[in-house]
Amino acid sequence: MDGFYRFPFFVLCYIVFCANLAAYTNFDFDFKKTVNAYLGNTEYPMFNLWLINVTERQILTILNLFLIKSWLEPSKKKYIDWMVLIFVITAIILQVTKVELMYLEQPIIFAIGANMILFACGLYFIGLITNEKYLQSNPLRLLSFWKITFLLFNYSLTYVSSVSLLYLYRENPSLGRILFEIGTVLTIMNTSIFVLLVAAPFLAKYFDREPYHASN
Amino acid sequence: MLPTENQVYIIIFSTLFLGGLMSTFVVAMVFIHRQRQSENRQKIDQMQAEFEKTILNVENEIQQETLSQIGRELHDNIGQLLSLAKLNLNSSKQEKHADGREYVNQVIREVRALSKTLNLDWVESITLDDFIYQQLQKIQATGFCQTSLESDHSFSELEKNQKLVLIRVIQECLNNALKHAEPDNIVIRIEKTSHSRRIEVSDDGKGFDTTQKSSGSGMYNLAKRMETIGGKFYLTSAVGKGTQINLELPL
Repeated sequence: MDGFYRFPFFVLCYIVFCANLAAYTNFDFDFKKTVNAYLGNTEYPMFNLWLINVTERQILTILNLFLIKSWLEPSKKKYIDWMVLIFVITAIILQVTKVELMYLEQPIIFAIGANMILFACGLYFIGLITNEKYLQSNPLRLLSFWKITFLLFNYSLTYVSSVSLLYLYRENPSLGRILFEIGTVLTIMNTSIFVLLVAAPFLAKYFDREPYHASN
Repeated sequence: MLPTENQVYIIIFSTLFLGGLMSTFVVAMVFIHRQRQSENRQKIDQMQAEFEKTILNVENEIQQETLSQIGRELHDNIGQLLSLAKLNLNSSKQEKHADGREYVNQVIREVRALSKTLNLDWVESITLDDFIYQQLQKIQATGFCQTSLESDHSFSELEKNQKLVLIRVIQECLNNALKHAEPDNIVIRIEKTSHSRRIEVSDDGKGFDTTQKSSGSGMYNLAKRMETIGGKFYLTSAVGKGTQINLELPL
């Protein structure tokens, strides 16, 4: 398999693994309770926010940043490296100092991650309208364009719902569920695009080769 | 309205606002991309037209130069040989007839050689190094100045159009040096750097003040021609210190 498709495939495998692990934590309550207790959470043993925080909002954010990096022009790739470094260090510091607990909502870490993704998407769009290679292509036939668009929607729309989720479940559970559904739909969309990214060589009729494919 | 209700509305509206903002952003990006794409296409078409025009001009100039060279050859060389042949063949002495026939054979060889220069196929068969060497040899043969060529053969592989333009630009540089600089030495260096291939044409002639505006457009045209093949033209000169011209092509 071409290196260009190997990374999306790896991320896809990672998403499948995380989803199964999340399902398992809901099935094996003792396991979830033990992990929560280990992290210091004896108040809400039913929560598996620790899993979502680590796998989705931290590691998946980093993986998405690396994915965006593979579509950027070489001169802009260094910004992603710096962002990943800053994000990792900040996340570790915030969790070690217990400013944000691993088993509860982490609005600061999520906000930093979401802003970095939005900034990286911005870099991609700048390349799209200025770079010679991207100007010669049709963005609607580029999977990178669709992936970036859905990432943009995912991180901006789920941000509001995720930081207000606990509040909404208390005050207006039905609205909380609806907003949570937005996240679910966008996650499905994003995962579907990962599948398309892996299957891209077989879909040459519908999607063009990425302009920076050769340099990766 | 209850404060809780207010907060719920804020959440709904901020979500809708962000969604709308993102949609507008993406759609705007697609529109800007389309616009820039069309501008880019126009620019590429313009560059292509300019490139074709330059190649046509270069071909015309080379052909004109070839025709004048043929005229000179016919007058100074072949005409003379034919006159000699006629004199020898008209002679009553038998041994002169043999000389006359030899002159006719020489004329045939010369005409064959000349006919080859009539079309531009010779450009494909000759390397840039060979062409420069021939030009420098011609200059040296006139006794006007000394010439030398140092080459690492980095221009041995060139597209025909690039070679045509480079031939013309080098010819023009040499003509300028002979016409205006009165040099004792002309040196051409061909070398490869980490990111480009370079031809340096330097002379130790009079030089000139590059800050003064020139009445002609020769240098501007040379720079333009280099641009059409993706290259660059640099000129450095000072009064009494000769002139150095660098022609660069990316690797």
